Amino acid sequence: MPEPVIALREVKKNYQDVNILDIARLELPAGIYWLQGENGAGKTTCMKVMAGLIPFKGEILLQDNVSSRQHPVQFRRLINYAEAEPFYPSFLTGRDLLELYLRTKGGDPEQIRAISEKLGVHVFVNNPVSSYSSGMLKKLSLLLAFTGNPALILLDEPLITIDTRALAVLYDLIREYNAKGVSFIITSHQPLDAEEVTITGTLKVAHKNITLN
Amino acid sequence: MRTTSAILSKIFTRRFYVQNTGFFLVLFYLLFGVVNGANLLAYHKGLLLGFLGNYSFLFLVLLLWTSYALKCVGFILKTFQTQGYDFLYPTMGSIDKATRRGIWFRLHTAIYMPVLVYAGIAVVIAIQHQFYISAVIVAVLNIANCIWPLRLYERKLEQPDVIFFTGHLQRWLNQHFTKPPVLYFLYELLTNFPRRIVSTKIFSAAILWLTFLIMTRGEYFDLRGLQIGVMVSVLTHMQLMVHHRAFDDTYLNFMENLPIRLVTHYLRLIGVYVILFLPEMIIITVNAYTKTTPWGLVTVFCTALSLLILFRVMLFFPKMNPEKHVRNTMLTSFIVLFMVLGHYEWPAILLLQAASAIIFFVKYRQYEPYIESAS
Repeated sequence: MPEPVIALREVKKNYQDVNILDIARLELPAGIYWLQGENGAGKTTCMKVMAGLIPFKGEILLQDNVSSRQHPVQFRRLINYAEAEPFYPSFLTGRDLLELYLRTKGGDPEQIRAISEKLGVHVFVNNPVSSYSSGMLKKLSLLLAFTGNPALILLDEPLITIDTRALAVLYDLIREYNAKGVSFIITSHQPLDAEEVTITGTLKVAHKNITLN
Repeated sequence: MRTTSAILSKIFTRRFYVQNTGFFLVLFYLLFGVVNGANLLAYHKGLLLGFLGNYSFLFLVLLLWTSYALKCVGFILKTFQTQGYDFLYPTMGSIDKATRRGIWFRLHTAIYMPVLVYAGIAVVIAIQHQFYISAVIVAVLNIANCIWPLRLYERKLEQPDVIFFTGHLQRWLNQHFTKPPVLYFLYELLTNFPRRIVSTKIFSAAILWLTFLIMTRGEYFDLRGLQIGVMVSVLTHMQLMVHHRAFDDTYLNFMENLPIRLVTHYLRLIGVYVILFLPEMIIITVNAYTKTTPWGLVTVFCTALSLLILFRVMLFFPKMNPEKHVRNTMLTSFIVLFMVLGHYEWPAILLLQAASAIIFFVKYRQYEPYIESAS
């Protein structure tokens, strides 16, 4: 089996006393994965755990040697996350966020500028996010997920609220980044277009566990 | 059917006076409640003649009136940005320009009316006492204060995304300056909760002013006395700390995915409170630099900042609700108080710093907002 891009070991997540996730072991080789599950099954929690946004028990390894516990900074450099419903302080502009991400995650600013133009983010990037529609916020959040040099990008419901042109750009980006070795885990209640992306595997969140089909 | 003016008056004028009832009560008390009824007319005549005959005093009054005009402008502009009031753009935008200007004028003068009434009386008195230049200045400024805001209201309709007074300035700032994370919470307070930060700072400054007054009246200066005042001033910031946690929980979760070292997160937190306490540090320096050594000032600042940081860091215990937080901060303050009284300021500062750092470095990555169950 090739080296896993992400490996979950004894990952448990509780909200107060309620157990949401209990994953003994999961290893995913590089590729594009579709994460499925019913509403409330724990897809977003799973993604937030992987992205280091919320605390959990157990350990996650990226590229077999970067540990969520022992290398928290390097871990966050290798994994990017775009929320289903992004939420930012109202006074920040898209540019403020973009610069913060570029400064911390690194990566090529020119490349991000090019993606920004493709998605149409450059038109409103200097305005405060309070003036954005949900589609504009979503585009910004997707753009931020492509900053730096990630090994894995987590996209939570990326297909909702964005227009068809942006959707085509997003599929192009997924293909382009995947060709460069970046893996994706994508949650979506809508089926991913098989003509646009080739799915490596389907992940199913159910009964607090994730199984790879 | 009600007229457009009546509906808009309900939206703007009535809401303005209802929301500012407290402000007007204090104002009325200061203007009409501090002297007995028999002397009221003489008091006001004296006040009017006082500023009409003295340009420095007049300038101060004009400044206050203009501040009130800004408050009125801010209220109308903020109404447009308030959730649920979006309908104002298409409705107001459909009215022809001349009629709309008339509506703006009536709405603005209706909420600016308290100043107009007082200024009108001032003009009459000024003419009676031959203070013609003062009369002209008062009249011109108040007419201007009724006219310049109309342009801003029109502009707001044309550019709904503009928050500050000048769209160009706002856009220029957004294009040329990137807000550093250390300023996020301050932006939040200044843009969305200005009353909260202003009231905290007024209380905090009042406590420091009282501390210095007591020491001046007693003709002594004791660094420990100042430190006690500073500790009380720090306690006035507690509601801001709880707000800070809520702000981080709600809006800054995305930052947990950024590859930022724990020490950088800690320095950012310290930076927030250094900036937040900067006005108090200036007040203390201005009032105490002749009475104590620079080292004495450093001791006072370090005590204040150590307390602020520890009190904020305590909120990284997820179950620390505001009630428990008050209890713990009071307990800590009492311990520090006795250490300060016993001249153990620096051991206290070091203990506070050590406790803050330990709690932060242990708790930060484990922290998650705790939602109390309804039962």
